[in-house]
Amino acid sequence: MTISTEIKFNIYNPVITYEHRAAYDMVLSQLHEIFPICNQGKCKALEVTDDPQKQKQINDLMEKVEFISDSLITITKVFFDQLYRAKESSSQSIAHSMAKITIDMIERNLLERTCDVRWWALEKSFWECVEISNLLNSGAAKKSTVKITPDSAVNSDKKLIESSLANLVTIACTRLEDIRSSYTLYRDLVLVDMSGKVIATANIDRREKLLGFNISEEVWFKEALKTIDGTEYFVQDFSKSKLEENGSLIYSTAIRDKGDEKGEVIGVLGVLFDFQGECQIVLNDSLPKDKNGETLDGWFSFFTNNQGRVICSSDQDFIPPGLVPHVPKSHRTLRNKGDFKFSTAVFCGINCLIVSHKSEGFDDYDGLEWTSHLVLPVASMFERHIENKEFGITPKELMNSHLIPEINRQTFQEIQRNTDKGDIQLISINGIVLATDLGKSGKSFMPIFDQITKTGSSTTGKMELLLSEMSSDMLNQTLKALVNLSKQAIELIDRNLFERAADVRWWSSDFVFCEALKNTETENYDAVSKRLAVINSSYSMYRDLVIVDSNGRIVANSKLENRDKLKGVSVSDQSWFRQGMQISKSVQFGVQDVCNSDLESEKTSLIYSGGILENGQRVGKALGVLGIFFDWEALAHPILEGCVPRIDNNIVEGGASFFTNTDHQIIASTDEEYFTTGNQVAIPTANLTLKEGESTAGMFLANGKKYIIGSTKTKGYREYRGLEWTAHVVRSID
Amino acid sequence: MLYSLFHVDKTLMAVPITTILEIVRPSMFYSISGSPEVIDGLINFRGKVVTVINTGLAFGGNKVETTEESRVYIFKKNSELKVADGTGLDSELSPDNIGLHVDNIENVINIEIDELQAVPANMAHPFYKFVVRKGDDFIIILRPAEILNLNKDRDLLS
Repeated sequence: MTISTEIKFNIYNPVITYEHRAAYDMVLSQLHEIFPICNQGKCKALEVTDDPQKQKQINDLMEKVEFISDSLITITKVFFDQLYRAKESSSQSIAHSMAKITIDMIERNLLERTCDVRWWALEKSFWECVEISNLLNSGAAKKSTVKITPDSAVNSDKKLIESSLANLVTIACTRLEDIRSSYTLYRDLVLVDMSGKVIATANIDRREKLLGFNISEEVWFKEALKTIDGTEYFVQDFSKSKLEENGSLIYSTAIRDKGDEKGEVIGVLGVLFDFQGECQIVLNDSLPKDKNGETLDGWFSFFTNNQGRVICSSDQDFIPPGLVPHVPKSHRTLRNKGDFKFSTAVFCGINCLIVSHKSEGFDDYDGLEWTSHLVLPVASMFERHIENKEFGITPKELMNSHLIPEINRQTFQEIQRNTDKGDIQLISINGIVLATDLGKSGKSFMPIFDQITKTGSSTTGKMELLLSEMSSDMLNQTLKALVNLSKQAIELIDRNLFERAADVRWWSSDFVFCEALKNTETENYDAVSKRLAVINSSYSMYRDLVIVDSNGRIVANSKLENRDKLKGVSVSDQSWFRQGMQISKSVQFGVQDVCNSDLESEKTSLIYSGGILENGQRVGKALGVLGIFFDWEALAHPILEGCVPRIDNNIVEGGASFFTNTDHQIIASTDEEYFTTGNQVAIPTANLTLKEGESTAGMFLANGKKYIIGSTKTKGYREYRGLEWTAHVVRSID
Repeated sequence: MLYSLFHVDKTLMAVPITTILEIVRPSMFYSISGSPEVIDGLINFRGKVVTVINTGLAFGGNKVETTEESRVYIFKKNSELKVADGTGLDSELSPDNIGLHVDNIENVINIEIDELQAVPANMAHPFYKFVVRKGDDFIIILRPAEILNLNKDRDLLS
């Protein structure tokens, strides 16, 4: 065994608990008592026998005992050090994954915003409105420079334009409102014409104040004008805008002539994301709470931007936005994507562990180079877990399980090797053999060997107790971490599906669809297919989009390669279509739980539906249904992969995560070998019968292995209620 | 009288402390070509050459493997015996020092002479001398000479 020369947690380290210090003191004082006993033995050897060989044998034995006691003292120190190191590294891993997941959650959300803004800019009512406003501006400009046309003609022209603009503004505002009510994540959406004047807004309360407001100096506006085509957008990192009193995170893109992606720039669409609201939810959710739902003392979570300034924090008083937080500089200046750092420092008067993780972005989305920080009291990393749920696992099994790092088990074995089943036992028996040989005079050796045996077994006993205490701590901590991961998995899925639900509701209101479905005689759906193709190209998460008429026949789809297969197919008996036809309000939507659908070649499908209402109104009769075939596997897998338990960024043995539906069937999984999609799972009933938003931990036997599991049932996200799924995160322990 | 307990396979056995010279961890066995399989090899013990017998194989069971817990009993030879205990065990040792390789050793216990019982006839075995009941455990007291004195009883080893 290699004994580390550097002891990080020596017994004087303040994080060592009182109980451990007491145990350590006792073990050490017992071991130190051995030395005088050995000396006594050596002296006795001279007393009891004249045989030099016997004297040497006794001396050898005593020296061996001294040597063993000495190495036991060293190993005991190492054992304590390793015990605390193991707890430290497990706590760090858990804290790191928490910091990573918080920033991931925000970044995923922001990615959705970039898709949204690009797509909305193509809306007909927006470019029509901007076009007229520009015309009016240029008319006014002409009038002031060249006075050729008689004033009256200009005036009547202008009046006509003005009245049509007023009309268009009302329509545009209504559409913006529709967006805002479909996607509740925005504080406002604004349409700006070429002169930098706000001409329409989504927030009715602020309309009076904002219409006509000039924002031509703002970066998001200027940058949006520079975009080359409809695939480009601009994000203005968290900063002040004239539009709001609070700091804003603004997404913008150009409005183009006739809604053509390659058309000339005629205006700008800006969306004001409710970043603080969203961040507060994410940041606070990640922190542990007491019984009353208050965040525990000393726990903080916050984000900094690439200048190292706070953009949002779980505690605005201690860590105010806009300022540089009191964390080591290296934490604020992480360079590369995915970089992370651990430090211990005093934060708000408490000795804390600070974990920082720089955002990684997704696929082709780079993110905004933000860093997520998590601060927790060092003491919490080493605290004992008092509550001990009964899982039917013996302390012995637990101690030999994978929960205990290999190195700790080795050290314990090393101690065992030296003590009760090892060298001390051997010495003690050989001592008895010797003493017996010496006959009567040898009897005085008996108490010495007795003492040596006692010390040996008491040392192992103490160590065993510590290791067993550590394994139960590790079990509790790991279970908590698994529960947290399952919470995150279900939350990420819910957030994502919320977006899908918002998408389908908004798209169903597109005028192209209701126009085409209204004129049933012409049966001309080319424009519809083209429109669907445009939508699908802005988003990466849909396999296909289809329009179904009121008879349940698919009349158009977005992907050319699926057209022959899908066109004319009747879906009248399918759940998503039926739900869609019953929709009478544009805020409703339908969804068919994950299943194996004939419409797609993939094993699992998740289909959302929206009702296409008469005349594109907010309330009305459904003329047909928009169905969106969601790329379920592509969404679920990265989320599940991200929630598989890891230590030092490596997946732990037997680690897996999966979702189950109400039939306890697996609908997506990271481990197709042992937890196969489509199969029913044999996990504890408590984990399958959770109520909304509830979590639990457990243990079960499967595939010949013992697993521990954390599960969380969906609680939905905002107005999205979820599909009653449960997320499970497991790892094997033997 | 004190006995040292050990396991061979799952059977708990014992030998009198007085017959033992020392117990050691199994070190290198020097194998001798042509020797029966039951002999693990020779070891050098304090300058003496000691033949080590694999007790598991000697009883017709599983071979005792060298592990963290396996041990070798080194027995005294006849001339080293001093104390007579009245059980007649001591006088049955071999003329040479011989080692027994066992799976693991247990603690030392005291067994009074009146606790020693004859081995029941149906489980009689040339190596067994007595049976002792201690609580729920049965302990077999070995007849060391029989195992140690290989030369006398070759057919037992085949």
